Amino acid sequence: MPKKALITGVSGQDGSYLVELLLEKGYEVHGIVRRQSSTIRPRLDAVQARKDLPLDKLVLHYGDLGDGGGLVRLVDKVQPDEVYNLAAQSHVRVSFDTPEYTSDVTGTGCIRLLEAIRDVGIKPRFYQASSSEMYGKVRAVPQTEETPFHPRSPYAVAKVFAYWATVNYRESYGLHASNGILFNHESPRRGESFVTRKITLAAARIKLGLQKRLALGNLDSKRDWGYAKEYVEAMWLMLQQPEGDDYVVATNETHTIRECLEVAFARLDLDWKKYVEIDPRYYRPAEVDLLIGDSSKAKTKLGWEPKTKFKELIELMVDSDFESISNQLAGKIQFDSGIFH
Amino acid sequence: MRVALITGITGQDGSYLCEFLLSKGYVVHGLVRRTSSIERSRLRHIYRNPEVYGKTLQLHYCDLEDATTLRRIITKISPSELYHLAGQSHVGLSFEIAESTVDSVAVGTLRLLEIIRDLSAPPRVFHAASSEIFGRPLSMPQDEQTPMAPVNPYGASKAFATQLCRIYREKYGIHIVNGILYNHESPRRGENFVTRKICRAAAAIRLCLQDELLLGDTSAQRDWGDARDYVRGMWQALQHATAEDFVFATGILHSVRDVVDRAFSEAGVDPGRHVHQDDRLLRGAESTSLVGNPAKAERVLGWKRETDFDGLIRWMVQAELADLKAR
Repeated sequence: MPKKALITGVSGQDGSYLVELLLEKGYEVHGIVRRQSSTIRPRLDAVQARKDLPLDKLVLHYGDLGDGGGLVRLVDKVQPDEVYNLAAQSHVRVSFDTPEYTSDVTGTGCIRLLEAIRDVGIKPRFYQASSSEMYGKVRAVPQTEETPFHPRSPYAVAKVFAYWATVNYRESYGLHASNGILFNHESPRRGESFVTRKITLAAARIKLGLQKRLALGNLDSKRDWGYAKEYVEAMWLMLQQPEGDDYVVATNETHTIRECLEVAFARLDLDWKKYVEIDPRYYRPAEVDLLIGDSSKAKTKLGWEPKTKFKELIELMVDSDFESISNQLAGKIQFDSGIFH
Repeated sequence: MRVALITGITGQDGSYLCEFLLSKGYVVHGLVRRTSSIERSRLRHIYRNPEVYGKTLQLHYCDLEDATTLRRIITKISPSELYHLAGQSHVGLSFEIAESTVDSVAVGTLRLLEIIRDLSAPPRVFHAASSEIFGRPLSMPQDEQTPMAPVNPYGASKAFATQLCRIYREKYGIHIVNGILYNHESPRRGENFVTRKICRAAAAIRLCLQDELLLGDTSAQRDWGDARDYVRGMWQALQHATAEDFVFATGILHSVRDVVDRAFSEAGVDPGRHVHQDDRLLRGAESTSLVGNPAKAERVLGWKRETDFDGLIRWMVQAELADLKAR
């Protein structure tokens, strides 16, 4: 019997990479997607294009972290060995605009999923996608598993809630539950409104004459940026340990948005200063401080280490955006989700 | 300056309504749910236009379950007309995800009405009610007086929302219109609605990109119209002096089989070789005999339909052929 995994947030950046990893490892993978009237899911199309994978082992179900009844039914139907909770309203700036919704999905949604598991009465291994944003106004640099949290956004507050819920279900019910405290992780599949992707897309579009300006917020913000494809391996490794635990996953390096601009635009022989304008609308009401993670526990216990570093990561994103937009211009790209019937 | 707010602006109706109102000189605001991919295919051609986006069209992140954000946005933009189109709208799926369907369609409407009730100058409100409120009706065709008898969670939610709109209209004197909309289609229909699925399959089979089309009950009958006609009806309904309910329908039934025959003939392929029944696609409880009587909308609003059934399917198949060839 192949192992069965259930993933929330399967149509997101991390979800799509995790699907690929688990299919490669021989899992039967079940993903939960929200109903939308349009079924375009570009990241899952990228998975579908991987004809080397056993795509018939991927099953999508409609569900919503706001829909507790549906979650119970799904957990019961799938009977997963591993559950990965990656779904959330994950955009920090947007969480200031929609705090109530963000809390419901990102915070309470985790409880609904844990309760569904408890109600069904099975003991799958559980992964909660925690976030470096929980450190916010940081108490120590770099941050480790012992650093206290000081969340600075509705998103981060909700993630702290979900973090403790996961710890509680581990301690109260003996669930094999783990938090991966992931620092920023990017890829060509990163959402278009996140800053790294916004920059790499803009560089490609400017190079191809499709865009003239790029509006950004605080260029001095610093982040610890890694490659999403490697971070999903850490998630899986956590669930293969004898006990559930919490781990920081990071590169241990920090870079500014300005550095990201430099690398991205230089890759296409462009000077970023000619195109970028500062727009205060993109400033967060409260900015987080120096986020830099110490992932030595993950290295010691999981044998996990980041391989792709900042410059290489930004360059691979620029290359991908440049190639796909060029293809689009040449009329070669396909956006078609054939998974649902 | 007339300001309109549309919930569900990224959907089929929302996008056509957005175009229609912009052409009438409105400033249009729309609510969109946050998704990590900002692929909004139906609106892309509008909001990528720098002459429009940020000027006469603005999108705001908001979800119908986020009451505080709803209140903030509505208070800030103070619309003169509000078109409430948002909600989980797929009937079959409303059995799978009943709780979130009821939350968005029924309770979401309640949240909206509660906010509007508190405004000193409430907008005129159009609520997109649905023929699904009639479920298994005792009479044919149905009109504004037909009793509601929903047979699925979506229909029950819409019945709840429709009743609430009537209550808030009577109790608080708010100008609220229920448009009881029968099925209405277009090339922008969701890919897993049956008309779109059939037209797309006919085109794809024609171009040898697909071989087979699986369908549930092909004898199921619906009253199908052109979404552009219905969107114009929404606007006409809100311009009328008094707030009333209106049925928008064609008054003519066609079966899924009819759609298959029309679409495949338009694409020039033989349905017998490619279309098969799949019992997994049968609905839990089918609505039957849903056919509307649009006489009141025609008489009171002067509402007219510009496209008939054959014209609708032709338009949809040709759009799919053009889209698939462009790739």
